[in-house]
Amino acid sequence: MQCRNVLTHIDAMRTDEIDSQDRDRIRQHLDDCPSCEESVTDLEGFAALARSLRHSPSESLAERVCSSVLDSYDSFDLDGDRVWVAFSSAGLRMVDIAAADESDFRERYRKRFGRELRRAPIPENCRKSVEAAMLGLPIGLDAIDFSGLTEFERDVLTTIRKIPRGEVRPYAWVARAVRRPRAIRAVGNVMANNPMPFVLPCHRVVPSSGGVGNYAFGPDRKRRVLRSEGAPIELLDSLAREGVRFVGSATTRIYCFPSCRDARRIREENRVPFRSAEDAARKGFRACLRCMPETASA
Amino acid sequence: MRSTWTGGTALTADSEQLALAVHESRDGAFERLVARFETSLFNYANRLLQSPLDAQEVVQDAFVRAHHALTSQYDGRRVRELALKPWLFRIARNLSLNRRRGHNHDLERPLSEFDDGRIGPLVPAISVTGIVEAREERDALERAIESLPDDARELIVLRFMEEMSYQEIAKCTGQTESALRGRVFRSLKLLRAALSEGEAQSCNAETC
Ligand SMILES: [Zn+2]
Ligand SMILES: [Zn+2]
Repeated sequence: MQCRNVLTHIDAMRTDEIDSQDRDRIRQHLDDCPSCEESVTDLEGFAALARSLRHSPSESLAERVCSSVLDSYDSFDLDGDRVWVAFSSAGLRMVDIAAADESDFRERYRKRFGRELRRAPIPENCRKSVEAAMLGLPIGLDAIDFSGLTEFERDVLTTIRKIPRGEVRPYAWVARAVRRPRAIRAVGNVMANNPMPFVLPCHRVVPSSGGVGNYAFGPDRKRRVLRSEGAPIELLDSLAREGVRFVGSATTRIYCFPSCRDARRIREENRVPFRSAEDAARKGFRACLRCMPETASA
Repeated sequence: MRSTWTGGTALTADSEQLALAVHESRDGAFERLVARFETSLFNYANRLLQSPLDAQEVVQDAFVRAHHALTSQYDGRRVRELALKPWLFRIARNLSLNRRRGHNHDLERPLSEFDDGRIGPLVPAISVTGIVEAREERDALERAIESLPDDARELIVLRFMEEMSYQEIAKCTGQTESALRGRVFRSLKLLRAALSEGEAQSCNAETC
């Protein structure tokens, strides 16, 4: 074997990446050739040294990479709830008060968005938004990261933001508002999978037939939240029992959803109950422009 | 010295697990991936581009692309078959090459045939502890590496700093293993030549 041929193989031999036949022939050559043997020693010296010559990135690189790719989460206590919040640099992504612990919340997030979370302190503005939302106050759209949601989900979730605090609207009203009047069940699914309860007030959406309906955190919680926002839960319950879905004013000849602020101003003696929007229209009542009750008569 | 070598198959199974964990969005998986490879990829990109700022951007971009591929583009089978380390290096390599084009450098140029007719020692006889202590010698080696042609410098980095196997380097650069052996050899000879040239220059400067 020639020296040159040997030298092109000694590096592969150093790491056992060579077949045994070549190795034996090279070993033989090295026994007789001090120059090549010296090269082996030098090569091993260089190999041992080379790793210490690596350049290291700035300390912030990993943090920058992770925060640009992964969403973050944090939790805090608020009025007896442990609130879990996932957020990206673009805003809130998920809010949960039912997660058992960190890994449960991460698992819920993974199921919902197929993405991994990393623990990071929640930015002050994110936290303030969630706190305000849990008091029933409106949250700016710019605080919310809607990425990963379908267009329909986005439509539905931004529409329910328009339901005022203290009021409720039926699923059918939401379906009409997003111009998909038949998609009542689909609206229900969006509500059930709402990644940001409170922030996007799915608790203000109820069945047309009355009652509060389903809620991610149970119907009792839904009642409690609605009551705390000033919704007339008891009135809605008793009207539902009587089959009354709308209330009109005998003086203005305008009809409303019972929880509409305008409906609640109608004096007892002027109050006219309706079982349907058609019924109201037949009796010469106009739909309220504020709560738009006609959109619920699917 | 063989015992210090960390390349080859030892980490392969572990890397496959890691790629799969990222694919399944397992807790902390991507952060572990970044922690494991950030220095390697940065060193590689910085040696290719010789610009820390550009290298940081390349590495960040490479991780973002890798994450996207592992979580959104590849199915489980493809992830399981992936050789994670050379795959990551290849992403960083392509991004570096793209960036380089603007600078009018070309890593794809074939290694210029280098042969001074001697077969002599591949690297200067420098003791391992000696060079670490002797800052000047270390700086000389650093300068010699910097002065190498792009392709020779790349192989020195992949083979000796990042301790990749010939198989892994082949996957990263798209060259055959047998061609790589010759190229590594020539790269080492170029390095040695660069070192002796540097020595000669510093002697002149000090009027010896
Ligand atoms: Zn020889
Ligand atoms: Zn009204």
